[in-house]
Amino acid sequence: MSDTYPRLVQLLVDNFGFETDEVNPDDTFSALELDSLALVELTLTVQQEFGVKLSDDDLDADSTLGQAVEVIEQKLVAA
Amino acid sequence: MPDPTGTFDAAVTGIGMVTAAGIGTQASWDAIRNPGGTAASAVPALDGTPAPLGCWIPDYDANKALGRRKAWRYDRSSQFALTAAAEAVADSGLDPGDWDGTRVAVVLGSGIGGAASWEQQHRVLLDTGPLTVSPLLIPMLAVNMPAGYVAMQHGARGPNLVTATACASGTTAVGTARELLRRGVCDVVITGGTEACLIPSIITGFSQMGALSGRRDDPRTASRPFDVNRDGFVPAEGAAVLVLERAADARARRARVYAHVSGYGASADAYHATAPEPTGAGAELALRAALDDAGLAPDTVDHVNAHGTSTPLNDVAEAKLVRRVLGERPAVTSIKGVVGHSLGAAGAIEAAVTALTVSRGVIPPTANLDSQDPEIELDVVAKTPRSARVEVAVSNSFGFGGQNAVLAFTRA
Repeated sequence: MSDTYPRLVQLLVDNFGFETDEVNPDDTFSALELDSLALVELTLTVQQEFGVKLSDDDLDADSTLGQAVEVIEQKLVAA
Repeated sequence: MPDPTGTFDAAVTGIGMVTAAGIGTQASWDAIRNPGGTAASAVPALDGTPAPLGCWIPDYDANKALGRRKAWRYDRSSQFALTAAAEAVADSGLDPGDWDGTRVAVVLGSGIGGAASWEQQHRVLLDTGPLTVSPLLIPMLAVNMPAGYVAMQHGARGPNLVTATACASGTTAVGTARELLRRGVCDVVITGGTEACLIPSIITGFSQMGALSGRRDDPRTASRPFDVNRDGFVPAEGAAVLVLERAADARARRARVYAHVSGYGASADAYHATAPEPTGAGAELALRAALDDAGLAPDTVDHVNAHGTSTPLNDVAEAKLVRRVLGERPAVTSIKGVVGHSLGAAGAIEAAVTALTVSRGVIPPTANLDSQDPEIELDVVAKTPRSARVEVAVSNSFGFGGQNAVLAFTRA
């Protein structure tokens, strides 16, 4: 079982003011009210946390957290 | 319609405050009214700088005040402004869910802007490179953003700006807000000032100018306006916001009115970057302009809420000006003995306290005034609050750059 999802959730808790039980894998970023600036900020923190390189559109407003986990894990494998 | 040539009263119908004396208007007022000394202590962020002392607000919890999901997006200066604005609007009894937002303006003052965010992100740039700099840096540091965010908070879609006249910014904001009401371009103005720059670069800069108190071992006595042993100002953070409406509108909706802002004057020394013009001629222009604007004679002024920074130069120059223009009649105080000098927020905090002074008939004392400087020939309220019916009060603010702003208040 991968720990990518809980680590992503922890980033949202530590940097964006969420509670752990406020987010679900099916939530999109737009449903979580993370706008374009917040997504760039999240991209930066994900890069630092996971040591991967993301492009500006790897995380978009319509992505779910589950899809974001897949993107991060693909980058981890490729790295 | 308002008459641009006649007198004009703007009613103060709401007040919100975040100061080192207290979070919230009542807490701030209580500590200013009965001072226990300067609300200063060592600021952890200033550790290792030449002047680590400040009137900071360790108990302010932005997550609690604004919500965890939003607070992280704002520089501390915007956080203070949003908190004080929410209190002021609630206090006014106006309902932002109900008002015509196109008729609501926001005019705030700030001297420095979001410098803490700027400094922090500059460190990120140097340490880990450009690709790690926050995309929120610009909306955090830009000096206009507190007013923009307050507009978003309350759906205020009228004129929106931040004034920057250094330590007079808050006073300039309130005066400018009143002009908008007088011109009839809006019906409500959310106005005031905010500052949060107790950070190493800024405070070291003030220290290198020789402007700051060196009493780091005894913080509660450090800010001592008009005292013979004063040695500089104590930097502070904070915000105050006032809701202004035309007096007739406030009366019509039976609003509680603290006081009227009845005059505003502004001028420039055109003299020196930081030193006040020694004769006080520039500041006198602003003081006389404020009284003229209010249609008031100088000998009617009961109370002066002084700029009173606790620097050797300011306090003497201001005292000579007050004595020359207003005589020995007014009871003078400087609340900077308690709350320190919050730069662009100071004029707004002092406007709020002046309105409360007029409303409650109590003049707060100047903290730490143990031995009045003999060059200061004024009736300075010391030690304990003074009960007084204040019909007319003025609040002075003088900024670096020689920018002067004065508000005249009258009883509602």
